[in-house]
Amino acid sequence: MAAPTRPSAQQPSEPSVDPAAEGATVEGVPGAQAAAVPGAPADVEQVAAGGSAARDTWRAFRRQPLGVLSLGVLGVLVAVAVLAPVLADYPSGTGSSVLAPPSAQHWFGTDNLGRDVFAQVVWGSRSSLLVAAGASALAIVLGTAVAVAGAWWPRLDALVGLVVDLVLSLPVLPLMILVAALVGPRTTTIVLVIAAFSWPEVTRVVRSLALTVVRLPYMDAARLLTPSATWIITRHLLPAVTPVVVVSVVLTASRAVLSAAGLAFLGLGDPRSWSWGRVLFEAQQAGAMSSAWWLTLFPSLAILALVLAATLASIAFNDARDPRSRVRR
Amino acid sequence: MSRGSRAAAAVVAAAALALTACAPSAPEGEGSGDGGATGSGVGPLVVATTTDVVNFNPLIGNSRTDSWVTDLMYPRLLHINEDGEKEAALATDWGYSDDLTGYFEIRDDMSWSDGEPITAEDVAWTLQSVLDDQPAGTLLGQMGAVESVEAVSDTRVELHLSEPDAVVVPEVGFWAVVVPQHVFEPEGSLADFANDAPQADGSWVSAGPYALTEVQRGQSYTMERVEDYPLADDGAPNASEVVFRVYPDVNTELLALESGEVDLVANALPPSQVERLQSADGIEVAEVPGLGYAHLVYNMDEPRLAQVDVRRALAAAVDYDTIREVVLQGQAVSAGSNPLIPVLSQFAPEDAEEYAFDPQAARDLMASAGVDDTSFRLLYNLTDPVMAQAAQLMEEQAAEAGITLELDGRERNAYLAATDAGDYDVYLGNFAIMDDPVTNFRLSYLPGGVINYTHVDDPDLTALVEEAGRQLEVADQVPVMQEAAEIVKDQVYDNIMYTQNLYIAHSDEWSGFVVQPSELLSVVNPVSLANATTAG
Amino acid sequence: MPALASFTLRRLARGLVTVWFAVTVTFLLLRLLPGDPALAIASPTMTEETRAAVLERYGLADPLVVQYGRYLLALVQGDLGTSFTQGQPVSSVLLERLPWTLLLTGAALVVTVLVGIPLGVLAAARAGSGLDRLVQGLGVTGQSLFVPSVGVLLLYVLGLQLGWFPIGGAYDRDVYGGEWYLSVLRHLALPALSLALVQLGAYVITLRSTLIEALGEDYCALARAGGIPYRRVLWKHALRNALLPTTTLVGLQLGFLVGGAVLTETVYAYPGVGRGIYEAVTQLDFPVLQGAFVLLAVTVVVANLLTDLVYGLLDPRVRT
Repeated sequence: MAAPTRPSAQQPSEPSVDPAAEGATVEGVPGAQAAAVPGAPADVEQVAAGGSAARDTWRAFRRQPLGVLSLGVLGVLVAVAVLAPVLADYPSGTGSSVLAPPSAQHWFGTDNLGRDVFAQVVWGSRSSLLVAAGASALAIVLGTAVAVAGAWWPRLDALVGLVVDLVLSLPVLPLMILVAALVGPRTTTIVLVIAAFSWPEVTRVVRSLALTVVRLPYMDAARLLTPSATWIITRHLLPAVTPVVVVSVVLTASRAVLSAAGLAFLGLGDPRSWSWGRVLFEAQQAGAMSSAWWLTLFPSLAILALVLAATLASIAFNDARDPRSRVRR
Repeated sequence: MSRGSRAAAAVVAAAALALTACAPSAPEGEGSGDGGATGSGVGPLVVATTTDVVNFNPLIGNSRTDSWVTDLMYPRLLHINEDGEKEAALATDWGYSDDLTGYFEIRDDMSWSDGEPITAEDVAWTLQSVLDDQPAGTLLGQMGAVESVEAVSDTRVELHLSEPDAVVVPEVGFWAVVVPQHVFEPEGSLADFANDAPQADGSWVSAGPYALTEVQRGQSYTMERVEDYPLADDGAPNASEVVFRVYPDVNTELLALESGEVDLVANALPPSQVERLQSADGIEVAEVPGLGYAHLVYNMDEPRLAQVDVRRALAAAVDYDTIREVVLQGQAVSAGSNPLIPVLSQFAPEDAEEYAFDPQAARDLMASAGVDDTSFRLLYNLTDPVMAQAAQLMEEQAAEAGITLELDGRERNAYLAATDAGDYDVYLGNFAIMDDPVTNFRLSYLPGGVINYTHVDDPDLTALVEEAGRQLEVADQVPVMQEAAEIVKDQVYDNIMYTQNLYIAHSDEWSGFVVQPSELLSVVNPVSLANATTAG
Repeated sequence: MPALASFTLRRLARGLVTVWFAVTVTFLLLRLLPGDPALAIASPTMTEETRAAVLERYGLADPLVVQYGRYLLALVQGDLGTSFTQGQPVSSVLLERLPWTLLLTGAALVVTVLVGIPLGVLAAARAGSGLDRLVQGLGVTGQSLFVPSVGVLLLYVLGLQLGWFPIGGAYDRDVYGGEWYLSVLRHLALPALSLALVQLGAYVITLRSTLIEALGEDYCALARAGGIPYRRVLWKHALRNALLPTTTLVGLQLGFLVGGAVLTETVYAYPGVGRGIYEAVTQLDFPVLQGAFVLLAVTVVVANLLTDLVYGLLDPRVRT
C-alpha cells in the first residue's frame, strides 16, 4: 500500500523533483531486497546510451573488489553443487559415531544417525540452488511479463498496480506455510509457492522502469516505424529493462533460499532430497541445535554465504551501472 | 526526534497500551493457592510442553498437552500400571454382574474443588452424554457395545450392553474422564462446550490434584492445587502450583531445562539427547515404558500386496536391529513381530521371533511371487522425527533387496487424510497406546475396523478375534489371542517393529514422580505430579 | 480540508479492498487445496457418519459460494467465527496473541530506526569510505542470517551461559507493577534484536542511498553555498527529505514483519499471532487461520493508513 508515497503508481514518468519521493519509488521495497534496486532515471540514461553500456558496466564492476569476491563465492557455490558427487558420497546409511564434533575424518562432524554433515551440506547445495534458480526464474518471467504488459497497455496498468499492491500486503511466509502444508512438501511445490509470492516484487521494480521507458522519445519513434507491438516489446522494451531484471534474479533467488530454509525448518521441506534447510530441520528435531553446534553452524554459514554474496554482487552491479552512486561529497 | 522514529515509537506505545490491560495486579492476601492443604507447599513445578492446549473439554481434546492438563482436573476411573494392567483410580472395583451388564464401583471420598462430592451420577451423566452428544474424541469408539449408562447408587454405575463384551468395562474405565455434571450440564451439548472459562472464583472446577486458574495462550497454563486428593500419598498434592509452559521448539525447551527455568520436560526426549542429559549436572532422566508400537502395514487392496509372499519379501527387506540401534539409540524393545507386544505381559508369547533381515530371501520371495515391478510407495508422517529417519533407512535397506521404496512423507494432516483414504502401498506409523489387545485386534484386523490399514478380511482371524471378545476372563482370552496373533504374524497382516521406551528429563531437585507407561501418562500423570516434591 | 478528506476516503476504500483481497485469497486457498478439516477436528478413527456430522456442524458441507457468502457476512458484523478445534470464538483465540506480535514487531522497528538512522547518515556522509563499506556490509550480513540459528545461538550464550536473558515466554509470573514491565522488556530483548538485525540492512541502505541522492539536489548545494555547515545540511535538510521514503519502508515492512515473525516466535517461544497461524495450519483450523490473516491484513492496512495520513498532513503534494 502506501501508494501516495510511491508516485510510480500514479505519475511514473515525471522527473521527480522530490528526491524523497523518488527514493520511495525505487527503494522503498519491503524486506530483504530493498537494498539494491536501481534508480530509474539513471537506468534510462544507460538504456538510451545503447548496448555499449554492458561493457562499461562490466569494466566498472571489475574495479569493485567486493563485487568480484562475491561473484567468486557464488561461482564456488555453483561449482560445489555441480561437483557434489566428486566432493562427497551421498549422505546415506548410518555411521558408528553419532553426533561427533568436526574432525579430520568428518570435517563438519556427524549428525544423530552418524551421517557426515559435510556431505549433507555439499549435496544440500544442489537442492538449495535448484530452488533458488527455479523460483527466481519463474518469478522473473511472470513478474517481468506482467510489468511489461502493464507498461505497454496503459489500461491494464491500473489493474497491475492494484494487484501488485494487494499481493505485497499479504503476509507471505504464513501463506507459504499454508500452501506447502496442504499441498505437500515437494521441491516443485516449494518452488511454485515461493515463485507465486515473489513475482509482485519483481513486477514492482521492473514496472517503474518500464513505465518510464515506454514514454521515451525513441519508443515513439519505434511505434512509427512498425505496427508490431511484439517487435517493439522484444526488441526495445525488454532490453531496456534487462539490467533491473538481472539484479532482481539474484535477489529473488537469494531470498528464495531463505524462504525455503524457513519452510524446511518448520518441517515443510522435501524429505527426499538434501537441502541446507533439511540439515537444520533434522538438527532441530533431534534437539541438537545447541549441543551439537556443528549441525547448526555449517548449513547456516552456507545460507549466509549464498545470500550475502548474491546481495553484495548486485549492489556492486548497480554501482557499476550507475555512475552517480560513486562518491560524491 | 525524527519522524521515522516517532512513527515507530507510536506503534510501540500503542502496543504497550494494549498490554497494560494484561498487566497483572498483585494478589490480594498471601496463600491464595494453599487453601488449607496439608502438604509442605513446595514451590511451583514448571512443566514444559511443545504445544498449546487445544481444547479444555477433556471429552473432545485429543492432543497430548490437552490430556496432560485436563487429566489433572478430571479423573479417570482406571489407571494403567507399569505392567500394562488396569488399576483402581476413581473406580475401586469393576467388572460384569451378568452378560449384558458391566459396573464400576467408585470411591466415596473424592470431591470437586467447589465442594460438591463426586458421585456415580457424575460418571453416569458423563458416559451417557458421550453416547447422546457424540463428541469427536477417542472414547466414543470404545463404547460401541454400550446402550445406556445409569447410576444405581451414589457409588455404583452400571453399563447396559447390547451384546456380551469382555473389554468394554476396562476400556471405558481407562479412556473415560469424568466431568462435573453440575458444571457441564447447563452448558448444553458436550460436543460443543469449549470449557474455556473459569468459574466465578477464578478457577476451573476440578477433582484434583490441580485446578486451572490462569491461561496465557502461547505461553503458560497455571494450575493451583486442590485441598484434598485421596490418590496422593499424603492425601493432598505437594507442589502449590503446576505451571505448563509452551516451548514450540524442543531446542529452546531443553535450554530452559538446563537453565533451571523449567523443572520437567513433558514430551519424551529426542533419542540422541538422552545420553547427554543423563550425564548433565542437575538433571535426571526417568525411563518410561512405551504402551504402543511402531509398525509397517501393507495395503492388501494393491494386487501385488494381496500376495503373502510379496508381504513377506517386504518384511525381510527391513533391518529392524539397525533402526532400533541407530534411530532410537537402542531405546526400544523388539516386539518379535508379534502384535501382542511384550509390555502386555499377560498376553505376550515368550519366544516371539522377529522377521529376519535377509535381502536375498526378499529377492527370492519377490521372484517366486512373479512380481517384476518392485516399487512401492511408503507413506509416513514427516513431522515425526523417528518415523522420518526410520523411513530413510528403510529406503536404503530395501534397495539392497532390489526393492524400491518411494518415500511419501507428508505433513501430519495430509498423512492422516492419506491413511484414512488408503492412499499408500506401505504405511509406516505408530500408536501411542494399545492398552487392550482385544480392542486393538478388533479395530485393526476385523473388516471395517477403523485402523484396519491392511484392509484384511480373513475369516479365520475374524472368528478368533470375536471369540476372544466373548471371554470375560483374561486367562481365557490369552490362548485365543495368541492363536490370532500367530495368523497375523504368519500372513504379515501387520508388521510390528518395536515398542519405544521413552525418556523424560527433569531437574534433580524434584523427586517422587510415579511412572506410568506411555508418553500420555509418563510422569505427568496426576498421581505423579501430586506426589512430586523438592523435599529429600 | 476537502482535499485531505477525499484523500482519506480513497485511502480507506483501498484499505478495505486490501482486506477483502486477503480474506478471499485465504478462503480460496483453504477450500480449494487438499486437506480435510474433519480429520483435524475429530479423531482419525471416527466413522463415516461421525465425519458427516462433523462437517455438517461446522457448515463445511455447504457449497463453496454459500460458505464464502456466509463468511463475508459474518465478517462485516465483526464475527470471525468459532475455532474448529478449540470451540471458542476466533477473536478470543487471536486477540490474546495480537498485542505480543505488535509489541515484538513494534520494538524491532524502533530498534531498527534508532540504530538505522545514525548508521545510514554515517554511511552517506562518508560514502565510498571504508566505514561506508563496513556499515553496508554489516547491514547486508544481518539480512542474510537465518533467524532460528541466530536465535539458538543467542539463547545459548546470553540465556544459558551468561544468564542475562530469560529463555522463552513473554514475561515472568509472579511479578507485578513496574517489575512486570521490566520482565516484559527482558523477554522482549532477544527476539526483538534478532528481528531488527534482519531488517536493519534494508533500512540503512535505503536511507544511505536516498541521502546521497538528496545531498546532490540543488537545495542542498544551495544551502552549502549559503555557508551552512555540511553537518547541518546533512542532518537537517537532507535527512528530513530522505526520511520520508525510509519511513514508507517502515510501513511496508510491517506486513512482512508481522507475518515473518513466525520463525522468531517459534525459536523464542514468544506467544504471537505468527506462531498461532503455524499451529492452526497443523490443526487445519480454518476459522482461526482465516481470522489470523484478516487480523494481519488489517494491521498492515491500518499501519499504512497512518503513514499515509501523516504524509498527507506533512506534504500536500501527495494528496493529488
